[in-house]
Parts: sequence; structure tokens; C-alpha cells
Amino acid sequence: MKKVFYIIIVIFILAQFLSPKLPETSFSNPDDLIINNPEMNANVQDILRNSCYDCHSNETGYPWYSYISPISFLISRDTKLGREELNFSEWETLSKIERAGVIDDITDEVSEGEMPMSIYTLIHRDAGLNDQDKEILINWFENYADSLFE
Amino acid sequence: MKNLILILTIATASITFLSFTTGTGYEMPSDKVGLPAYDVPDDVQEIIDNSCYGCHNTDSKSTKGKMKLNFDKLSDLKQSKQIGKLMKISKVVKNGKMPTKKFVEKYPDKKLTDDETTLLVTWADNMAVELSGE
Ligand code: HEC
Ligand code: HEC
Repeated sequence: MKKVFYIIIVIFILAQFLSPKLPETSFSNPDDLIINNPEMNANVQDILRNSCYDCHSNETGYPWYSYISPISFLISRDTKLGREELNFSEWETLSKIERAGVIDDITDEVSEGEMPMSIYTLIHRDAGLNDQDKEILINWFENYADSLFE
Repeated sequence: MKNLILILTIATASITFLSFTTGTGYEMPSDKVGLPAYDVPDDVQEIIDNSCYGCHNTDSKSTKGKMKLNFDKLSDLKQSKQIGKLMKISKVVKNGKMPTKKFVEKYPDKKLTDDETTLLVTWADNMAVELSGE
């Protein structure tokens, strides 16, 4: 029994050397969605920063356990994939019609409760969206999308 | 007794098998479809009729499919939504996500060729630009 315990400890320690490098962060993003839309309601900003920006921007916050294997693998993967699909830090580089396409994705994912990912809200309790948050977020994006083509 | 069990097992297995192979949920449109307000060239219309419309129309049995995209209602959406949907058509066709894998396995001839992919993507992109007024 003791033996098993030691083996697990050794594997855990060895695994730390395999830990992946987490995607780089940057806090100076001139093409960021929030920065370029100063009229955005503080509510909407809070929701985005609280529930989406860790995976969909360059401003990822890494809590202490992010560096511990095997959690580091999960966080590294989700951040990488999340940014590839949608990176709010590079929002302004998208054309207007591209933005309309992404916004259709956002409103779909949010209204169906697919985003933020459930594994994330399990740990970040306050990141989950209630019906009112969803409505605020969706309304903002729909109005923004309309304003692009006026 | 043993025989009875054997027969029942075979019967159940074949029914299960049949229900998987026959119930496709895909019905070919009987007539030219949807998109009333759009300028759709015949070759593009044919691709949509053949490989997309059956799942993405008002009467489709695919609830999720028609919720995400309904060709019958596309031109009723507000401008920014229409543009968004067209851009998503372009995206999912470009990255080979549509038509669905299962569908292509069942109807290999409805898989889009490279030419068809280009045609559909180009049409959707152009239509989005046109609608955006630029
Ligand atoms: C824990 C990380 C994480 C959080 C938090 C998160 N996402 Fe995602 N998101 C991902 C990953 C990973 C993908 C790509 C894989 C997938 O689609 O599941 C993704 C994909 C998406 C997509 C593209 C979906 C598609 O099918 O094209 C949208 C849109 C999206 N997220 C919006 C949001 C919004 C809006 C929020 C905040 C309300 C959010 N996400 C929060 C990780 C996250
Ligand atoms: C066999 C039925 C079927 C066929 C055929 C089909 N689709 Fe789909 N489609 C679906 C389903 C189901 C979904 C919802 C999938 C999901 O959300 O995971 C979907 C989703 C979509 C979406 C939304 C994607 C997203 O990420 O939100 C688009 C756009 C789309 N299909 C376009 C097309 C186009 C274009 C074709 C033809 C080239 C096509 N589909 C053929 C069933 C089908």
C-alpha cells in the first residue's frame, strides 16, 4: 500500500517536468474589443472579462494551479484552442462581415449555454451566466452587429 | 427454448440494424427551394438542394440543424444575422464540417467536390459582401 503511494508521488513529480508551456499573455492589445468600444456598458465588460477573456483573449489569468501537471495540460489546450476560435484581443483585425459571422457563433453558444465551458464554471463559480447575463451579452452583440452595417 | 432466444436475438438485431439504415431523416426537396430574396445561380442552387436543404428547412426533422440555419427563413432575418449566417455557411463548408460526416457516409455522392466547395463558398462570401452594402 505504501509502495503504491510512493509510486504515485514519483509519477506526480516526474509529470511536473513534462508540464507544457502555457500560452503567452499580453496586456497591451490595441485591437481589443473592449478598448475599441468605450461606450460598452460596464455590465457587458464585466461579463466578458469574467466569463470569456481567460480563454478568448491574450489577457489570460493563470491561477497557481495552472502550472501544476496534469491541470496545466487542460488549461494550455483550452486557452490555445479558445484563442484560435475567437480572440477578443484581436477583434478589430476582423472585417465587418467576419465579425457578423463570429457574433452569430457567440449568440448561439451563449443562448444554448455551451459557453463558458462547464469545466471552467465548475472551478470559477462566479463565471457562470444567469439568464439576465445571457440577455445582456446577446443584446449588446446584436446591437453592435447592426451598427456595423448602418 | 434456446432456439426461441436465438430467434428473438436475431430479430432484435435485424430490426435495430434496419432502423439505422432506413430512417435517414433526409428528404430530397421536391421543388426549387428557399432563398426567395437571393440571387442564386443554378449551379449553387443545385448544391444546396442536393447536400444541404434537406436538413436545413422549416420541415426538417433535424431540430438542431434547422435551428442553426433555415434556408426558408434566411432572407427574413435582419441584415446582420443574414450576413452572419452566410459567413457561417462559408466557414463550415470551407473546413469540411458540412454536410455532416454521417450524411456523407450514407450518401457518398452528396459529398461536395472541390469545385462545388469553391462555388458554394464563393457565393456565400459574395452574398455577404453584397448584403453588407460594401
Ligand atoms: C475554459 C475556457 C473557455 C471559456 C471560459 C470560454 N470559452 Fe469559448 N471556447 C473555448 C474553446 C476551447 C473553444 C473551441 C472548441 C469548442 O468549440 O468547444 C471555444 C469556442 C468558442 C466559440 C466558437 C464555437 C464554434 O463552434 O465555432 C465561441 C463563439 C465561444 N467559444 C464563445 C465564448 C464566450 C462568449 C465565452 C464567455 C461567455 C466563452 N466562449 C468562454 C474555451 C472557452
Ligand atoms: C444530415 C443533415 C445535414 C446536412 C445534409 C447538412 N447539415 Fe448543416 N447542420 C446539421 C446539424 C444537425 C447542425 C447542427 C450541428 C451542431 O450544432 O453541432 C448543422 C449546422 C450547420 C451550420 C451552423 C454551424 C455552427 O457551427 O453553428 C451551418 C452554417 C450549416 N449546418 C450549413 C450547412 C451547409 C451549407 C450544408 C450543405 C453543404 C449542410 N449544412 C448540410 C445538419 C445537416
